[in-house]
Amino acid sequence: MNQDRQSTYSFPSWVDDLKPLLAAVGLGLPVVLVLLFWYGASPATTAVGYAPPQPVPYSHALHAGQLGIDCRYCHDTVEVAAHAAIPATQTCMNCHTNIRAGSAKLALVRESNVTGMPVPWVRVHDLADYVYFNHSAHVRRGVGCVECHGRVDKMEVVHQTQPLSMGWCLDCHRNPDAHLRPPELVTQMDWQPPAQMTRAAYGRQIREKYNLNPSEDCSTCHR
Amino acid sequence: MPPLDPKSGGRALWRSLDDLAGDKAFQDAVGREFPLYADEMLAPSRREFLMLMGASVALAGMTACRRWPVENIVPFSHRPEGYVPGERLQFATSYDRNGAAIGLLVSSFDGRPIKIEGNPLHPMSLGATDPIAQGTLLQMYDPDRSTGLFERAGQGEGTPRTWDEFAVWAEPILARHKASGGAGLRILAEPSSSPTLLAQKKRLESVYPQAVWVEWDPLTRDAEREGARLAFGRPLRRHLDLGKADVVLALDADLFMDDPAGLSHTRAWARRRKGEDGVMNRVWAVEAGYSLTGASADHRIPVQSALVPVALGRIAARMLRSGLTLSAGCEGLREAIERFESHAFDDPRLDTIAADLLAARGRGAIAVGPRQPAAAHALAMALDAALGNSGNAVTYADDPEPARPGHLEAIAKLASDLSAGLVETLVILGGNPAFDAPADLDLAKRIGSVSQTIRVGLYDDETSSLCRWQLPEAHYLEAWGDARGWDGTAGVVQPLIEPLYGGRSAIEIAAYLAAGAWTPGYELVRTTWSTRLPAAGFEKAWRRVVHDGIEAGAAPALTPVFAAGWGGEVARLAEARQLGGDAMELLFAKSSAVHDGRFANCGWLVELPDPMTKLTWDNAALLSPSDAEALGVKAIGDLVTMSLPGGSLVLPAFILPGQAKGSVTVNLGWGRSRAGRVGNGAGVDAYPLRTAASLWRAEAKLARTPGSAMLATTQDHWVVDTLGRKEEQVRAEELIRTGTLAEYRAKPEFAREMVEVPHAAPISTYPIEYNGHKWGMAIDLSSCIGCAACSIACQAENNIPVVGRKETWRGRDMQWIRVDRYFEGDPESPGLAFQPMTCHQCENAPCEQVCPVAATVHDHEGLNVMVYNRCVGTRYCSNNCPYKVRRFNYFNNHKHETAVSMMVYNPEVTVRMRGVMEKCSYCVQRINAVKIPAKNAGRPISDGEVVPACAQVCPAEAIAFGDLNDPHSRVRALHDDARCYGVLEEINTRPRTRYLARLRNPAEGKA
Repeated sequence: MNQDRQSTYSFPSWVDDLKPLLAAVGLGLPVVLVLLFWYGASPATTAVGYAPPQPVPYSHALHAGQLGIDCRYCHDTVEVAAHAAIPATQTCMNCHTNIRAGSAKLALVRESNVTGMPVPWVRVHDLADYVYFNHSAHVRRGVGCVECHGRVDKMEVVHQTQPLSMGWCLDCHRNPDAHLRPPELVTQMDWQPPAQMTRAAYGRQIREKYNLNPSEDCSTCHR
Repeated sequence: MPPLDPKSGGRALWRSLDDLAGDKAFQDAVGREFPLYADEMLAPSRREFLMLMGASVALAGMTACRRWPVENIVPFSHRPEGYVPGERLQFATSYDRNGAAIGLLVSSFDGRPIKIEGNPLHPMSLGATDPIAQGTLLQMYDPDRSTGLFERAGQGEGTPRTWDEFAVWAEPILARHKASGGAGLRILAEPSSSPTLLAQKKRLESVYPQAVWVEWDPLTRDAEREGARLAFGRPLRRHLDLGKADVVLALDADLFMDDPAGLSHTRAWARRRKGEDGVMNRVWAVEAGYSLTGASADHRIPVQSALVPVALGRIAARMLRSGLTLSAGCEGLREAIERFESHAFDDPRLDTIAADLLAARGRGAIAVGPRQPAAAHALAMALDAALGNSGNAVTYADDPEPARPGHLEAIAKLASDLSAGLVETLVILGGNPAFDAPADLDLAKRIGSVSQTIRVGLYDDETSSLCRWQLPEAHYLEAWGDARGWDGTAGVVQPLIEPLYGGRSAIEIAAYLAAGAWTPGYELVRTTWSTRLPAAGFEKAWRRVVHDGIEAGAAPALTPVFAAGWGGEVARLAEARQLGGDAMELLFAKSSAVHDGRFANCGWLVELPDPMTKLTWDNAALLSPSDAEALGVKAIGDLVTMSLPGGSLVLPAFILPGQAKGSVTVNLGWGRSRAGRVGNGAGVDAYPLRTAASLWRAEAKLARTPGSAMLATTQDHWVVDTLGRKEEQVRAEELIRTGTLAEYRAKPEFAREMVEVPHAAPISTYPIEYNGHKWGMAIDLSSCIGCAACSIACQAENNIPVVGRKETWRGRDMQWIRVDRYFEGDPESPGLAFQPMTCHQCENAPCEQVCPVAATVHDHEGLNVMVYNRCVGTRYCSNNCPYKVRRFNYFNNHKHETAVSMMVYNPEVTVRMRGVMEKCSYCVQRINAVKIPAKNAGRPISDGEVVPACAQVCPAEAIAFGDLNDPHSRVRALHDDARCYGVLEEINTRPRTRYLARLRNPAEGKA
C-alpha cells in the first residue's frame, strides 16, 4: 500500500471526451436490451409467420380458395365444440377416391386410409397449454375464421398471421365491433360490410342484436 | 404430548390429542404461516444449496427464447359417426369388488378414460362412488402393472413370453387334465359376481369334473351368510333399506364404507338427517374401532369387539323382559338370550337402545358387521323378525351361489390338498393369496411347491413371484365383462380402452382353460346375455344394457322361515370374556386406502388421509388413549410390539380417541413387498399375524418398543383458527355448529346466532355486481359421513399431484378439498364431526388483496380464480387465507410421470408447474362445459346442470352447487335455510360456500 504516487495510472486526456458517449451507452444499453427482448421474444415475432411443413402438401389456396370448399366441410365440429376438428382421412378420400386418385402427393393419405394410422399433421396455431380456446363460442357469435387465421384461402402452406397472444385476444374482447359479422357468414373470407358502413359500425349492430358481451375474466380462458 | 388433563372436558371439539391438551407444538403450528416445515428446506448443506441455486439459474436461462415443441395433430383415419374430437364422452360400466358391483359412468376424452363417476341408474351407486372405486382409474394407468407374460423357473424376474408360447406350454397339460377328469387341477379365484365368469366356471366343471374352483376373499363377509344359514337353514343375503329405518343399531358394522351396499345405505340414511319435517333417524353404534358409521351415529358405545355379541344379547334380554315375543321358530332362543343377563359386561345405555328399538317396531334395523360370528348375525335376524323390522327396513333375498363353500373352509381345503400333493396344476385368477391368505395355512410355501402354477394378475406381485407363469390380467376398464350388484342388479362391463399391456380378462382365461382355445371376451359376455335377454329383439335389448350399464331388476325379496335348534350357538356367545391386563384384542380391519392390499400402489388412495386417523402412507396400531398411557406410548409413531402365539410384529402406534379400551386395530393390506414404486415398504404387513382361527380377532400382548416412526398424519395440518379473535375455547364450535333435533325444533336458526356477524353494509374493496350467474355451494354437515370420496373426485378431476410421504409429513399435501375431522367431548369415548373444507370463493377474498401480481382475482360470476401463468409463488395468498385451502407446488410434482401415467390427466385442466399456487376453482372447467353449449343454443342453464366433481360423487348428497341468482335453485334454498351459516363470515370474507349446521338426534333429547 505504499506505492509511489507517480506510478498511479492516469487516463489520457482524450478519454474525457468519451465520457458522454460512455454514459449514453451505459444508460441506453439496458433500454436497447429490454426493447430487443421485448420485440424478439414477443409472439408477434416468434409466432407470426410460423409455417411448418406438413406431411401432405395440402393447399388451402386450392381447396378453400379456387374450389371454394367451405371451411366447415373439413373442420366440421367448429360450431359445436372447442376444437375445430382436423378432418379424418375419410374426408379427403370422399373426393380423392375419384379425383387425382393416383397422385404421389396423396400417397400418405391413401396409406392412412388403408392402414387406419393417422396422418401426422403439424399444429400451426398452437396456444399455450394453460389456455382454453373454444371455437364454437366464437364462430356462433360472428367472429369470422379470417379474424384469427388470416386469408387461409390464399395460403399454399398455412402459416400463422396473428400473434395469438393474450394482449391480442384481449384487444378484441375489449373492442369486438370491428371483428364481428353475421354469424352465418363466418367462413366467408372476403366478407365486407355494406358499402356505406364501417366494420366497426356494422359490428356494433351485430353485437347489440346478439347481446354479445365478451368476457375479460381470467376464468374465461384459464382453468 | 403432555399428559391429558382428566378435567379437559371443557373443550367440546378438538382435532387431536395434542390440540386438546394444548400442546405447544400444536399452538406453534396454528400460529404459523404454513404447516410445520412446509416452508423450510430440510437442512440443506451449503453444497446442496449451491447446487439447487445453480440449477435454478440454468433452468431459468433455458426456458426463454424458444418456441415450444412441435405438436402433431393425429385425426382418425375414419372418424366414428357423431364423434366430436376433444369432447367428454361417458360410458356405463360396473366395478366388481369382493363379489359385489357398483355401477359406474366413466368419462373419456379421445379414448382416454380420465374420470370415474357413479351410474345414477344403478341402485348400488345411485350416481355416487367411493374413493376406492375412483382409485381404480389410477390403478389402470399404473406403470408398475404387469407388462407382459413371464415364465419363471425358480426365483428371479422370469423370461418374457407371448400368449402363443403360453398356449404351447399349456395345451398338453390341459389335455392331460381333461383325460384324467381334472383331478389335479385347482383354480383359486377371488370372488366375482360376473354371470359370464360363473358360466365359465360351470363349463370348467363339466370339462374337468374333479377339478376344484376355490374362492378366497381376505375381507370375507361369510359370517352374515353363515348367520342366515343358521337362522333359516340356507344362505341368504340380507338387505337394509335405511330409508325405512328410524332406529338403526350398528354392531361393529360400518354400513357406509365397509358394506357392499354402502353407497345406497349412505344415500338413504342421509335423506333422513335433515330434520326439516321433524323426522330424523337415530343411529346407535356399538363397536371397538371407530368406523364411519360410528362417527355418524347419534350414540356410540366403544366396546371390545368380542363383547359386541354380549351387548346384543343384553339388548335382546331387555326387550324380552319388556314383552317382546320371538317369532315362530325362534322360541328356543329365549333361554339362550336370558344367559346374557348374568354376563359381567353391562352398560346402562343398552337399556335405552332396547327401549328405542321397541318404540320403533317395524321402523328399525339391527346390523351386525362381518367381523362378528355367525350366531350374532342370526340373533340379530331373529330380533329384527320379532320387532317387525323384517319386511320393512330388513329384507332377504336368495344367495346367488348357495352351493359355494365358505371362503375360509375353501382355502383351508386347498392348503391341505397342496400339502398332500394332490395338486398338479394351480391356476390363480386375480387376488393375491400368497400375501393375504391366513398365515398358518402357509400358502406361499405350498404354492411354491406346485410345479405347474399359472397366475393371472394385474401386478407381478407376491403371488406371481411364486408361480411359474405370470399372465397379465386385463383391468376391468380394458375388457368386456359383467357384474351383479349386492342387490342382484346385473350390468355389463364395457372396455374404455384397449388393454395397455396386452392383458386378458379372467373370463377369457377361464374360457380358455375350459375350451383350449381363445374366445374374445365380447363373444363370451354376449353369449351369457343372450340367455338373459329375450331372443326377440336381442340386439336392441343388448345395446340398451350396454348403454345404460344395467339390466333393471334386483333379486326378488323373500320371506324366510326360521329353522329350529340354533339356541346353543347363541348361548355360546354369552361365554365371551372381557380382556384386560396386558392381554388385548387385536382386530384386523379393511384399510380405507389400500382395501385388502390391492391398491397399495395407487398414489391417490395411499395419500388420502384415513377418515379417522388422517394417516397417509402408513397403517398403525390404533390404541385408545388410556391403553397408550398404560403402555407408555407418548406420541403418535412410538413403536409397539405385538406378540401372538404365532409370531410378533413391531409397528408404530396411533392414539385414536374412541378406540375401545383393551382393543387394538390394525389395518390390513399394508407393507407390500412387490406392489410397485408407491406401495413397496409403505406401512406394516399385518397378515402374518392373521390365522384361520383368528381371521378378524386375536389375543395379543402389547409392549412398548424403543424408537418411533415418522407417521404422516394430516390431522393437525391446515388448522383453521380464529386465534386472537375469540378465546380459543370456542374456536371449533364456531366452525362446526352442532345442535340436537330438539334444539333445532325450538330454534331453527340456532347456528346463525352462534356467532355475531356485523350486518352493516358489507365492505368490499372490489364492489362487483353479480348480475349473471352467481355460483355458490352449500355443504350439509348433517349428512356428511366423512368418507373423502370428494377428495379423490377432486384429485382426479383437477390433476392434483401425489406428493409422497415425506412431503405430506411436511404439510405439503395437495388435495384441494380436505375433510377436517374433529373429536368431541371425552377422549375415551368422543363423538366425531367432519367438515369438508375447500376454497370458499370469498366475495371479499383476503387472498386477492395481497397478491402482488394479480394472479388471484375475482371474475364476474364470483369465482375467486387462480391464474397459474401469472403466479410467481410468493405464497402471500396462502398466508392470508383464513380457511387454509390454498396449495403450493413446492416441486415439479409431475416430473416422474411416464407416458402411460400421464394419460390419466384431465385435458380440461392445466397441469401446474413448480412454484405455482393452486386451489379449488369450483370446477370452472365444468361450468364452462355447460355454459358455452347453453349459450350456443341460446338457452338458460337449468339448476343441477353444473355439478362440480365433489358434489357429483357425494353418496350423501351433502354438497349442493348452483346459481345463487336463480331463485329456484337448490343451493339458493339451502343458503336461505335456517341451519345455514358461513364459516368465519364475521371477518367479512363473504364466503360463497356455506354450511348447514350439523344436527344430531340423541335419545335424551327425545320429548
